Parts: sequence; C-alpha cells; structure tokens
Amino acid sequence: MLRWTAIIVTSYLILFSKGRVTDLHLSNILIFIYLLSNVLLSFFPKRWFSNLKLFYPLVLFDTGVVSFGMYLSEKMTTDFYLVFFLIIIFASISRNFKLLMVIGGITALLYGVLLYSWGLFTKEESSSYTLRIPFIFIMTAFYGYIVQTLTKEKRQELTISEDKYRGLFENANDGIILLRNPELRIADVNREVEKATQYTEAELLQKDVFALFAPEEVEKARDYLKEVAEKGGGRTDHLSLMKKDGGSLEVDFSIKRIDLGDESFYQLIFRDLTEQRKLEKKIRESKRNLEAIFDGIRDQVSIQAPDYRILRVNRAVVENYQITFEKLINRKCYEAYFRRSEPCERCPVSVCIETKQPASSIMKLSGDHTTLQIFSYPIVDEKGKLLSVIEYVKDVTQEQRLQEQLIQSEKLAGIGVLASGVAHEINNPLSGIIGMAEIALEEEDPSKKKSYLTDILECGQRINEIVKGLRSYSRAAKKEEFGQVDLNGVLEESLKMVQLAIKARSVEVIKEFQASERIQANLGEIQQVFTNLITNAFQAMDGKGGKLVLSTRALEDFVEVKVSDNGMGIPQKYLNQIFDAFFTTKNPGEGTGLGLNIVYRIVNKYQGTIDVDSKERMGTTFTIKFPIWRAET
Amino acid sequence: MSRKILIVDDEEVIRKFLKIHLTKLGYEVQEAADGEQAIEQLGKDDFDLLICDVLMPKKDGWQVIREVKSNPKTKDIPVILLTAKNEDSDMFKGYDLGVNYYMTKPFTKAQLIYGLKLMFGETPGEIRA
Repeated sequence: MLRWTAIIVTSYLILFSKGRVTDLHLSNILIFIYLLSNVLLSFFPKRWFSNLKLFYPLVLFDTGVVSFGMYLSEKMTTDFYLVFFLIIIFASISRNFKLLMVIGGITALLYGVLLYSWGLFTKEESSSYTLRIPFIFIMTAFYGYIVQTLTKEKRQELTISEDKYRGLFENANDGIILLRNPELRIADVNREVEKATQYTEAELLQKDVFALFAPEEVEKARDYLKEVAEKGGGRTDHLSLMKKDGGSLEVDFSIKRIDLGDESFYQLIFRDLTEQRKLEKKIRESKRNLEAIFDGIRDQVSIQAPDYRILRVNRAVVENYQITFEKLINRKCYEAYFRRSEPCERCPVSVCIETKQPASSIMKLSGDHTTLQIFSYPIVDEKGKLLSVIEYVKDVTQEQRLQEQLIQSEKLAGIGVLASGVAHEINNPLSGIIGMAEIALEEEDPSKKKSYLTDILECGQRINEIVKGLRSYSRAAKKEEFGQVDLNGVLEESLKMVQLAIKARSVEVIKEFQASERIQANLGEIQQVFTNLITNAFQAMDGKGGKLVLSTRALEDFVEVKVSDNGMGIPQKYLNQIFDAFFTTKNPGEGTGLGLNIVYRIVNKYQGTIDVDSKERMGTTFTIKFPIWRAET
Repeated sequence: MSRKILIVDDEEVIRKFLKIHLTKLGYEVQEAADGEQAIEQLGKDDFDLLICDVLMPKKDGWQVIREVKSNPKTKDIPVILLTAKNEDSDMFKGYDLGVNYYMTKPFTKAQLIYGLKLMFGETPGEIRA
C-alpha cells in the first residue's frame, strides 16, 4: 500500500513540475509505462524480488524511466542527478532505514543550502528548484522503503528456513556439536548433546570440547580433529564420552569440517551406543554361552544342512575324529564321519530331513565294538522350512555293555530260581531211586527185584532228561552271537524249563504256533524273555490250575507272540509300573523286580514292542512283536 | 487191628515204595494221586495217619491239610508232610497248619521209621513183629 502511495506521489510530483497532464508528451508516456510496469510487477510473487539479481535491474529500470522523464521535462540539472543517484546507490547498499532517512534529510538540506548559495531561489523558476528538496527526501524514503521491505521479507524467509533447520538440528536423534574453527570453541549444541552428556546448553557453550571426552580418549579426539583439519573430509570412529556424573558413554563419532560463508566449523555428530553396546554384549555373551554349552557337551553334536553338509561341530567331534574343524565343515556327514558315498541306512538325520521330526536310532560300528545312539532334531524357520538338523551322537557302548551285564545277571538270578525248581524236580525221581533201591536191597524175589530196578532206571532216565533240558537252556543262555531265531522253538524250550521249575501240572497249555518266520536276535535273550513271561503266567495262576495260551502269528513285518493266562491279573494301578526296574509285588527275596524290566529291554533292543492287557481275576495277555528277519535286510 | 495210613503224592514211584515199606511194617495203606482224591478218601474212610506231598495238581498239600484240620471228623489225624523243597519257611508253614512231622525228599527208610515212631509212640511193625 505504502509502495503505491509512494509511486503515485512521485508521479504527481513529476507531472506537477511539467504543468499539464493532458499533454501527450513523451514524459507522460514514460510515467504511464512506469506505473503499468509497477502494477504488473505487483502480480509477481514476492520471492522473485528476494533475488538481488532481479531487484537491482528493477531499481535501475525504475530509476532510468523516472530520470529520463525528468530530463525530458527539462527541469533537471546535473548536480541533482548526482545527489539522486548517490541516494539510490546508498539505499541499495544500506539496510538501515533510519540512517538512510537521516542521510536523505541531510542531503536535502545541504542541497537546499547549495541552491540558496547559488541564488537560484530568487530566480523566476525558483518554485521548480524549491520542489527538488522534498523530492530528494521522498525519493530517499521511497527507495529506503523498498529496500527495507524486501530485506525484511528475505529475513522472514530466512527465519522460517532457519527455524526449520533448527528444528531438525534440535530434534535429531544424534548429538550434534558445532565447533568454531580454528579456536575450537563450542558454537552450538543440540538437545541430544544435553541429554547425553547431562550438561545444559549454557554449560556446554562454556566448556572445552575435549573435556567432554573420557580422559583416555582426549588424545584420540584431538588427533581426529587434527586429521580432519589437515586432510579435510570426514572421520568416523568409536569413542567414549564422559558424562557430567562421571559415567562413560559409548558413542559412534563422526567429525566433519563445514564452511558456512566466511565462517568455518567442525561438525561433531555422535550416536549413543550404550544401549546398542549392551545389546551387543548380551548377544555376544549368549553366543559365548551357547558355544560353551555346545562345546561342553561330551557327546558329539554336529549341525547339518538339509543336504547333509556339516555346518558346525562341537569339540567332542573334533577330538573324536582327531581332525581339524576346517576339514569337517562343508563336507557331507556320511563322507566325513563314515567314509561313505551316500547317507547311512536308517540314519536319523535322513528321517529328520524327510519328516522334519526328531528321530533316533542305534548304530553298531562294524570296525570297533562301538555302539552309537544317534538322535536328530530339526531346526526350522518360522515358516516351517527346514534350516538344519542337529545330530547328537552318543557313544552307548558302555551303557550297552552294562545293559548286557544286567541282562546277564538277571539271567543268572533266573537260573538260580530255575535251579531250585529243577532241584525240586530232581528230588522226586531221586526219592524214587533211593526208596526203591532200599526195597530192592531187601527183596529176595528176583522178579520183584527186577521190577524195582526197572523203577530205579526209569527214575534215573527222568533225571537225565531234566539235566539235558537244563544244559540246552544254559547253552542257549550263554550264546552271545546273533542268529536267526525260531520263536516257536524258543517257546517250547522255555515252557519246558518253566514247567520243570514250577510244578503246576493242572495248567492246560494251548499252543497255537502259526508263524514260521524267524527273527534276528540272540537266542539266549529271546529265551529269557519267554521264560520270564511264562514263569509269570504260571505264578499268576498260582498252581490252582488254569489255561496258558502260547501263540505266534506273522503280521506284515512282525512276528507276534502272545503269552496269555487266566490267572489273577494285574491290578490296574500297577499296569504302568510293571516294566519298571525293581518294581515287584512279590515279597522281598522272592522276586528281583527285574524280570519284566529285562523283558522290556530285550524286546526294545530288537526294535520290538511289548503290550500288556490285563484284567484282575480274569487274566493277563502279553503281546510281543519282533521285526521279521528277511534275507535281504 | 493194624493202623490205616493214607499216602497222597502225585509221584507214582514214591507212592509205590512208600506202600511197600509201610505194608512191610504192618500198616494198612491207601493211596491218592492228588489232593481231591485224598479228600474224597478221607471222607469215606477213617485213617490213623496222613502222609502228604505239598506240590500236587488240582489241590495242593496245603489245601488238603487245611481241610483236614478244619474238619472235626479228621482234625485229629496226625500228618507227615513230604516235600521236595528244603526250605525253612515251608516247614514252619506246615507246623502252623498243624503238621506233625516234616520229611524232605529224598528220604530213607530209616527217616520214615523215625517219623512213624514219633507219630504213634511205638516202634513200627518190623520190630513189633
């Protein structure tokens, strides 16, 4: 608005000096152009004028148009021009409006004095000279105003843009310190610096920047600054700062030199790494723990990729194979461990790769007498994709040996029971022999004597049978090596032995042998299984008479054997305990509590299964399944 | 009138030589091959002595003795227990049930005579004869 007032006043001043507005004089056209151009310009966005390149030509253009108009009106003299241009130039340079107005005033006054001293006021056209004095002042005000307005606008824009950057600066997540170069005084800090160092901004601006570093790092920081100063560019590193309370602060530090106009700064940006460090430390610790656990496991643990490549092994593996870690990694496990060209048969890792389920199996190494139990466990990602397989190899040789010893000692205990049974069984014919011999000795009649001796012979033969049976049983029990075992034969043999030991002749034995398939096992152990089961069956019937059913039949891959009695049965509450070691309902000294446990162990050893079905006072049936032996397996 | 003895044993040869011995000693002898037979005969006849095996089919020796001792008609008949098991627990069990004498198989004629002497308070047949 003011601008327009100034323009209109100026125009009228010029026109007034001429006299008539209606004259189609060139100066009037120029004034018109001047007005029009200014009207047009008022439609251009303001920010165009913030640019000095545009502003100065505009000022020059305006000045030129006005001056030319004045010249044409023949009212101007050279000295006026001089003063006029000086003011314009001064106004353009100066941004101080007040000073400009003072100068304008003084100039107008001086000019007035000058005109007076020249005696121009007394002349005819004195009114035209008199008018020049306020004109100078008004022109000064006008240009001063324009310059100031534009400067203000520019300053406002600068303020907005500075606020913007200040906001970014203050709210940055990283601490930013500006150092003046070269005196290295802190020029500015943002809020993050205050937060991180616990100093206030005022305190920081008074502080030596190096006092912010941990004492041992000051030299390092100094070197970095020097390096940046000398070589330019930036520099990034880990440093630790010292907080106001003396605590240390791990930071990621970067130093850069920036030049802003004539001023040069160092920009120090740091990021608090304390939390990150803590996390990293936790991760490192947990990694170390896991590694220690992994290596601490005395059994061999290795991790395989789904293509059997070894990804990791623990120390036990390295020690066991006496090979370096590097030689195992990335090799296929079957090559590295077993020198095979393809995965091992029944390898639980293969099962795991196929099914993504944990698996286990027992492997007997052919070379040494080592028995390994191998467990596999899948590692899957959140989508269920198999990443790797943990293979856990346990040397169970010793365990196996202990188990065999346990089986053996139970067998011995069993033989003890058997022996007492057999002793009893032998005592009957032995009684006969002794009794009949005494009678025979007293008998005179040869025919009677002969009949007595025949009885003695019969008794002797019976004893012979018993001893023979005992011998074959103990031979089988001693047999260590594997072989193909005919279960029907074993059942017969076991039954015979048990019948020797337990006199329960009123027990009706029904044999339903339908399977002729054999199984691969140690004969003695299988005999032990059935001797124990048949003994239990007889004991369950407690000599009161009953029915024992022994049956075999072939299923698809298994031979199924059932030992069934109609004895007292097993109380429901004991059913899940009967296979436990040392579980017995017999009186102390009568049972070891190992019988069924050994049965269970042996059946398990041959990948068989055992199930029990029992009803109190109705009887018990044990169902055992062994895998059928086939020539090709 | 000679004394009447019942021999109960499932072992034929034992019954046979016991019968020969006892007959020679002047006793009247009857035999039973199992517990059930024994009870049957005890019901039919009066006996002066019962010689009984333990392990027998159908009814074992313990059951026979229990029934004998619980029956007022037969409870006073003395019992000699025959057993192939040489175990103290069996012996005590026998005495608890009221068995008078206990013989472990194999036994000799002399042991038998000693037992008979204890039962009847007299030296058996031969010596008497």
